[in-house]
Amino acid sequence: MRELTGRAGLWVRAVDGVSFDVKRGEVFCLVGESGCGKTTTGKTLLRLEEATAGDTLFEMPDADYERYRQLRRAPPTEGNQKELAQLRRRYSLSWQELTPWTTMDALFLTWAILAASILAIVVPVLLAPLLGQPFSSDVFLFVLCLAEGAMLGFVASLPPTRISPRTPAIVAVIALAAPSLTTTLAAAVFGTTVPGADQGALGALSTVWATYTFTLLVGILFAAAVAGGMARVQLSIRRESEGLVGIKMRALRRRLHLIFQDPYESLNPKQSVFEIVSEPLIVNKVSRDPDEIASLVSRSLEDAGLRPAEEFMFRFPHELSGGQRQRVSIAAALALEPDFIVADEPVSMLDVSIRTEILDLMMELRKRRGITYLFITHDLGLAWILADRIAVMYLGKIVEQGTADQVIAHPKHPYTQALISVVPSPDPRHLAQRTILQGERPDPVDIPKGCRFHPRCPVAFGPCGWSVSEVVQALRGARDELLQGGAELAAGTGVDPVSLENLRGATMARWPRSVELHPRPGVSASALSAAVRELAAHRRDKWRGLYGIASVLEDRDAVRVVLQPAVEPLLVQVAPWNSVACHLIAPPPAAAPAAVPLVTPAA
Amino acid sequence: MEGVNFTLNEGEALGLAGESGCGKTTTALSIMRLLPYNGKIKRGQILFNGRDIVRLSEPTIQKIRWKDISIIFQGAMNSLNPVRRVGTQIAEPIILHEKVEEKEAMKRVEDLLQLVGINKERMRDYPHEFSGGMRQRVMIAMALACNPKLVIADEPVTALDVMIQAQILELLERLRRELHLSMILISHDLSVMAETCDTIAIMYGGKMMEFGTKMDVFTDPKHPYTQGLVAAFPDIRGQRVMPAAIPGDVPSLINPPPGCVFHPRCKFAFERCSKAEPALAEVTPGRRAACFLYPEVQEVMPRTQAAPATAR
Repeated sequence: MRELTGRAGLWVRAVDGVSFDVKRGEVFCLVGESGCGKTTTGKTLLRLEEATAGDTLFEMPDADYERYRQLRRAPPTEGNQKELAQLRRRYSLSWQELTPWTTMDALFLTWAILAASILAIVVPVLLAPLLGQPFSSDVFLFVLCLAEGAMLGFVASLPPTRISPRTPAIVAVIALAAPSLTTTLAAAVFGTTVPGADQGALGALSTVWATYTFTLLVGILFAAAVAGGMARVQLSIRRESEGLVGIKMRALRRRLHLIFQDPYESLNPKQSVFEIVSEPLIVNKVSRDPDEIASLVSRSLEDAGLRPAEEFMFRFPHELSGGQRQRVSIAAALALEPDFIVADEPVSMLDVSIRTEILDLMMELRKRRGITYLFITHDLGLAWILADRIAVMYLGKIVEQGTADQVIAHPKHPYTQALISVVPSPDPRHLAQRTILQGERPDPVDIPKGCRFHPRCPVAFGPCGWSVSEVVQALRGARDELLQGGAELAAGTGVDPVSLENLRGATMARWPRSVELHPRPGVSASALSAAVRELAAHRRDKWRGLYGIASVLEDRDAVRVVLQPAVEPLLVQVAPWNSVACHLIAPPPAAAPAAVPLVTPAA
Repeated sequence: MEGVNFTLNEGEALGLAGESGCGKTTTALSIMRLLPYNGKIKRGQILFNGRDIVRLSEPTIQKIRWKDISIIFQGAMNSLNPVRRVGTQIAEPIILHEKVEEKEAMKRVEDLLQLVGINKERMRDYPHEFSGGMRQRVMIAMALACNPKLVIADEPVTALDVMIQAQILELLERLRRELHLSMILISHDLSVMAETCDTIAIMYGGKMMEFGTKMDVFTDPKHPYTQGLVAAFPDIRGQRVMPAAIPGDVPSLINPPPGCVFHPRCKFAFERCSKAEPALAEVTPGRRAACFLYPEVQEVMPRTQAAPATAR
């Protein structure tokens, strides 16, 4: 695909640097337009999507979380890193020991396998002549295979080897190969003979295979069983000592759940309601007793408001209305009694009159079972009534975060303000001054520098990250407007429009954040630079790209327009719980030059 | 659908609101005479400039369709032909109705695109090269191609983001003012109508429940269903309370409940509601509702004469 689209090297960072904490028993809302990364965030939290970096910390006490944040900010010394790794190992769902296999790991494993083989096979083979036992004895070979299987199984489960579902299979293959290889080697090197075999290594190999296949297979099965058993023992030890990483994600899946957006798509049409709701119980091995499963299913159906449960249990999704389908979804999520539910637009496909019932149900379950919700929605109205806290996302970043009252009633970020101003209200008396942003969100493969929102921001200014092309575009736009606007507009700004005609701009490779302008013949560089300066000073509220100009320099017969550095706004806490990522709220640390941006140094 | 009755004056916007399956789109298609083969207009009138659309012959209606009455279809994603350029698609009705050369039609397309805020160079693009909001703009340009007098917008902003939604609504509002259009806005989202329409008609189960000016319907709804519907929307500028629910499900129209269609879900329902069907009647000046709570409301005459459906 890469070659086909010619897009090698471009990737979408759907979510970038998103950080928030959800408290137990809280409803946390993620809001934003489509494509802002809210669903990806929700899925990444549950590890349905693997994050390339970052942690999802689950059930972390406040003290440990504070320590974790301190360590993240602290310089990465070895001690800090070690403590951080320990915390992550304990609480992070998404943390994996990302360190690739080092040479030491590989050496260790090779050595371990070798040692196992030597101990289990070579030693008895070598001892055989001394003991006077015939090498070919059935009993001897059988014991040998068992011993080798056990040793290999043990080795495979040793740290730093990682237990994976493939481990037993790999061990089995090694177990299969090792005895035949050692026998062959023994025959070749020591001249040990196998009765009935031709002389030489190949003969010994084929005879071993032909005669002792059964014995070998028993050894192999034994090896796999031991590896599996050892893995289990080791996991239970790690679970005690290391926290979440040691536990298989499946054990956690019982406590984390997801409610999908579209009840028409998310239910399998070929499964009955009973099958849909009981599936998580069976998959997670909650119970094997059919009666118990049936009672659990009927309990969660009734909890989800499908009463009486018997009436709904054996229906199929097409026999249910939209609201009832979503209730089935909720029942399936509830069956395992989860602690944390990610609800991804759970009511957006439902009719309004049914919506409230589903929301009421979710909130009632929260009260009764203490469920924590991460509620993902594009509907700010819903966020307003449901959320304890809200995070607003734009292009994969959180731009503002706070309590519902802070974010919806007193928004601080220009994007949040605009978004809230355009949400229609069902009461015509509540008409608001609407701020309609022009254009659409940028392509996430080509994210604007600095603040991601600045190209559409109605109040963007200097440090927001204007690019060369944006500044040139703004200059051209302002110039064209001036040329067409006539003398009145020109007089207002004090710019001689003639000096700006036939403006040619070029980016200079030597100065990446600057533009070189060449005046038309007959216009001096100083006249042009004065015109650009005046234009920027007077028209930048209309052509906001002009805010990006830091200084205008004359460079022989050309004019160099130097741009302000692009600074990405960080999420800064402005009040308890409330943080905003905007330069207007928290100016960038480099002294804000917004007041006098147009410096004229001596040529 | 039965007993749908409303009037729309020139330059006015009417909002047709209701939940899924309540007959909003069917109303729109009836006005355009575009009902599928298994749908029929059995009774009633649709008066457009004094002419009854129901009785017009197919060739005559073809002349009116898109020339005088056009429609912005639901789901811009699926309503454009993916293998034809956007410009040609907009030009099609112009060439068909005004019998002009393709060149001239293309010139009109340029103007239309500019009118809806799309760069005219993009007329040679294919629909997949447009975003959802842009496609909706193309649909609007297409609906305006022959300078219609009445535009029916069927869920024009559903499935669009709030910001794009605001852009499209602002565009429709501007066009309505500039071109003196009459507009029927169909939506399930009442809050969209609160900002754009002059009058509102509420439908439920194929029947009209209430009709009145925007301010009246929203601030003092008469019909219990309207009351429930208005209360079901969260208000971002209002109190932080859970909206009220209307218990129960939307009725199936194959087997509608007897009497008033809403009575199984109505908290004020009394005996008469399940026996007789209320007719739409004026309950306060300029406001009609179909509910027996109001003494003015009569029973529907059994199957002899139905209220005519009128447009303009």
